[in-house]
Amino acid sequence: MTDSPLDLTYAFNLGPFAISWVVVVTWGILLLLGLGSFAMTRRLALRPGKGQAVLELVVGAIDDQIRATIPGDPARFRTLIGTLFLFILTANWSSLVPGIEPPTAHLETDAALALIVFAATLGYGIRAQGVLGYLKSFTRPSWVMIPLNLVEQITRTFSLMIRLFGNVMSGVFVIGIILSLAGLLVPIPLMALDLLTGAVQAYIFAILALVFIASAVEDSAPQEKDPPS
Amino acid sequence: MQFDWLTFGLQIVNVLVLLAILRHFLFRPVADIIARRQADIVAAQDAADAAQAQAARAEAVARAETDKIAIARDDMLSRAQSDGEAQRARLVQAARAEADRIIADARTEATRIVDGAQAVTLRRARDLAETIAARALSDLPDPPTAAGFARRLAAELASLPEARRDAMLGGADVRLVASTALTDGDLATTRSVLIPLGLDHAPIEVDPTLISGLELRSSTGAIHNSLAHDLTRISEALDNDDGSGT
Repeated sequence: MTDSPLDLTYAFNLGPFAISWVVVVTWGILLLLGLGSFAMTRRLALRPGKGQAVLELVVGAIDDQIRATIPGDPARFRTLIGTLFLFILTANWSSLVPGIEPPTAHLETDAALALIVFAATLGYGIRAQGVLGYLKSFTRPSWVMIPLNLVEQITRTFSLMIRLFGNVMSGVFVIGIILSLAGLLVPIPLMALDLLTGAVQAYIFAILALVFIASAVEDSAPQEKDPPS
Repeated sequence: MQFDWLTFGLQIVNVLVLLAILRHFLFRPVADIIARRQADIVAAQDAADAAQAQAARAEAVARAETDKIAIARDDMLSRAQSDGEAQRARLVQAARAEADRIIADARTEATRIVDGAQAVTLRRARDLAETIAARALSDLPDPPTAAGFARRLAAELASLPEARRDAMLGGADVRLVASTALTDGDLATTRSVLIPLGLDHAPIEVDPTLISGLELRSSTGAIHNSLAHDLTRISEALDNDDGSGT
């Protein structure tokens, strides 16, 4: 793949709409995760097998992360955080399949994820504190901070989007450049590093989404930790 | 670089669809099974706690039952002891009564035996007396007078060996002993019978213990010729008969 990852390539036209490969790959990921989940959760038992143990480990780890950030029942946030993590991880690792470009290497996907997180933050905040309560949270620590808090809502969503896009796109970009300049096996170490980067970025995105939601649902909103770039 | 709003919109839809899919097929079933397991664990723990509590209650009941049994055992032991004491007292009393009865029966029997023995003894004494009397009478001279005893004395002396007879008659202090004082007639008859023996001048003594009879006594011996001696001899003979007969 030597095309610029900044450009969208289209797979087919659906009536007047041109469907990009990003959407097609995302459908493939949906199919993979959906069928995989269905296959693995068909025969759940109280005495778990190896596959079920892995699933329970993943779900348990997600619950532990949620519980460590937001006290209380983790089930409220499990689906969103877990889906974000699994989707981004699978999307990042899809670059291992030859000819597949990860959907997260394109701004549309990252923007969609960031928008969902923004909407979820808004929704959870209003549900937890009410409209007025949530709006009041922008006045902390002083009403002078209202403009900055409003800008923060936008900028942190953008930072979420750009962080994921930049890391994944750069990885794909670097591998593409090296692949075009060097031999076939040279990019393999970089691809392995890309796997690690993909997992870390998925974890960071999910944790940051959790932190944003936590800041919205809790009265004393915790400050956003300085996220790794 | 371009931003494709259609792709952006489709990706939002895709992520929301994935959210629904994973919620339905992954997170909910796995969370449910984890919750079920935890519920089972809690239920098992509750059951174990209940079983432990039940065991503790059963242990307490068993301990109470053991204590009750121990108390009942002590009661039974004390009751059995008192019953035993009463039984022993009754048995002792009965034994004493039985012993008294046996003693009374024995006394009665002894009395009866003694009476019977006395009767037997009396009967035997009577028989013995009759025997002694019969023998004594049969041994008496005929007639049983002083002359008869004199004649039997003479016959007795005559039956002795000569040496002994001579020693008897030649001894010092030869005398005749009668049971009663002899009348003149009896004295004359007696001396006439004893003249052949040279005793016609021998002095005559009286010894009532002879009962009846005439004996010759000297320093060398005596010739017993009296009813007393006969009775003694008969008694000794009867004693010997009894000793050898029994």
